[in-house]
Amino acid sequence: MKKKRFFNGNRIDSIITHIILIIVCIIFAFPVLWLILSSFSKSGSIYDIDGFFPKSYSFSSYIKLFSDTSMYDYPNWLANTLYVAVFSSLIGTILVILTAYTISRFEFKSRKILMKTTLILSMFPSFMGMTAVYLIMVNFGLINQLWSLILIYAAGAPMGYLVQKGYFDTISNTIYEAARVDGATNFTIFTKVTLPMAKPIIVYTALTQFAWPWSDFILPNMLLKNKDLWTVAVGLTHLDETQFTRFAAGSVFIAVPIVILYFALSRFLVAGVSDGAVKG
Amino acid sequence: MEQENKIIKTSFPVKASMFVTGLGQLLQKQWIKGSLYLSCFIVYVFYLIAVGARDIKGFFTLGTVKGDAWLGIEGDDSIMMLLKGLLAFAITAIFIALHISNINDAKRANISLENGEHLPKFTKACATFMDKKFYIIALAIPVVGVLIFNVLPIIFMILISFTNYGGDIVPPELVDWIGFDNFGKILTLSSIKNTFFKILGWNFVWATLSTFINYFGGLGLALLLNKKCVKGKTFWRSFPILAYAVPGFITLLGFKFMFSYGGPINHYITMNGGAAIGFLDIDAGNMARIIGLMVNAWISVPTSMLLATGILSNMNNDLYDAASIDGATKWKQFIKITLPFVIFSTTPVLITSFVGNFNNFGIFYFLRGGLYNEGYFLASDTDLLINWLYNLSIDNNYYGIGAAISLIIFIITSIFSLLTYVRSNAYKKEDTYR
Repeated sequence: MKKKRFFNGNRIDSIITHIILIIVCIIFAFPVLWLILSSFSKSGSIYDIDGFFPKSYSFSSYIKLFSDTSMYDYPNWLANTLYVAVFSSLIGTILVILTAYTISRFEFKSRKILMKTTLILSMFPSFMGMTAVYLIMVNFGLINQLWSLILIYAAGAPMGYLVQKGYFDTISNTIYEAARVDGATNFTIFTKVTLPMAKPIIVYTALTQFAWPWSDFILPNMLLKNKDLWTVAVGLTHLDETQFTRFAAGSVFIAVPIVILYFALSRFLVAGVSDGAVKG
Repeated sequence: MEQENKIIKTSFPVKASMFVTGLGQLLQKQWIKGSLYLSCFIVYVFYLIAVGARDIKGFFTLGTVKGDAWLGIEGDDSIMMLLKGLLAFAITAIFIALHISNINDAKRANISLENGEHLPKFTKACATFMDKKFYIIALAIPVVGVLIFNVLPIIFMILISFTNYGGDIVPPELVDWIGFDNFGKILTLSSIKNTFFKILGWNFVWATLSTFINYFGGLGLALLLNKKCVKGKTFWRSFPILAYAVPGFITLLGFKFMFSYGGPINHYITMNGGAAIGFLDIDAGNMARIIGLMVNAWISVPTSMLLATGILSNMNNDLYDAASIDGATKWKQFIKITLPFVIFSTTPVLITSFVGNFNNFGIFYFLRGGLYNEGYFLASDTDLLINWLYNLSIDNNYYGIGAAISLIIFIITSIFSLLTYVRSNAYKKEDTYR
């Protein structure tokens, strides 16, 4: 008798748990699904989509996104975004890896001071200095330049070196010492020993350094005033309710790679960590 | 005693190096190194005479000649003078560092010579330096980058907060140092003062509430997914991760459209005979605030869920078994075992997320950007300090007051950040993993 009641309690508990889970998942899925469905709507304005489901479906929003570029030049926005993201990722990754490796590997006088300074600097929200960056850029005539964005992203990258440093910390010193005994200079050790071993973390760094400019809005919105320099993030905010499905299509198009990246990254990270463990 | 010896022993070339960079090296016949040092010295002196001294003076005066297009007078650009002054200070600092390295180098060479050793050739010395001081070369570019793009803006902003820059006073008008007047204005001038304290109050309420909601939302979700009866955890977890992966600006703009008059929510309300609701209108008041909290939860709960999942997997299950034997209920177990453990191990994260929420620019910028409420000075009733700062300095050119506000935000957040710093063990124990 007692056992049966206990079983029932578990059953009810399980049902309640699943009901809550379903509700939570609907809450998380609803806006995303709504955007995806809207992007396939035939009409362009939000007022013509009655509720959650569009009246009729078509690819017209996607076709318009890439063909009707007189007012909203999405292909150009995409090209700008890609340009900024690729180069910031390239330069940023080099700087981060160099910083992380050096701080992990070498003991020098200013090392602790450097680490403490970056720690305190990184605690301040990045937006704080942003208005100052804007003013400085205006005074030196550097707004409306895509490469000034690249500079800011890449130069700020070494501040987040801790993950990479953690990776280099796991590589044991004996490898370096062996290379040292063989007469290798620090530079050759870095290029011939460290870099090949750091492949997983380099890929991880490059991807995260890519994802940030790819989906950042604040900085490009501040620094890019010319319409033909807009990135996707800036361009999409200028679409109003009558252009809603264009917004939805543009959002889906730029979000899909990032979402895939995140799902791929979560698996990759695990691989990277266990890789490091074996080598350590 | 040793100190005295050093002074007595200081030889002529070293003394020469103290006065003129590179002279000591030249006297010790290190021609290339010496002339490089010397040329740095000459360049610096010429820089100082040509522009440096003027720039440093300009930093303090911020310009004396007002430009006038009618009379054809090219006036002083105060902000450029401020920046150039900063540059002059930076160049001077670099030169001083170079000069000190020159003295040390001369001393080292002198000692080597006295011991009867030959000084290494310049090319050889270069190679040794490249190798021994690899870290200097490797870190030079990253450090310079961070100095220019992270440290300089902060210094610049702090300086601006002590000037009357902004409003009507933008070049060609002359900007002046005004000490703490901007801070005085924020605390006394009625319109700004009222706005400031209203926003500050709401800012704290917002940060506390949203941190609380996001934290316990994530923890609850993680606990739910951790239950034994839940099958297919990866499937359930993929929904919050999806929300986590969508770029923030898309989520926020999407929500703005969702709550707009043409959006699906208002559609179903009107379909059922209700009147459309302006969820995010200027007079929406608390409704807009609650929507902001909910939207923020939608964005942030997945992150804290992932965090809590990681922590829960590190927990020792023996404690629960023991508690069950002692007859503790599920709720008691949660209060007495789970919660203390999770809160203890996430305190630093809790503080960081409080700071993050305190300065959450995106939410209300996207949901209600550009609205100015009555009774507020260039702000709306949902704006946080950081949004107000943006309205003031980027949209309305009140740079001085904006900078003063950002300094105040700085102070508030740094107090919390320092708390994290003190508590973070990960930093202190950084070398134990080796």
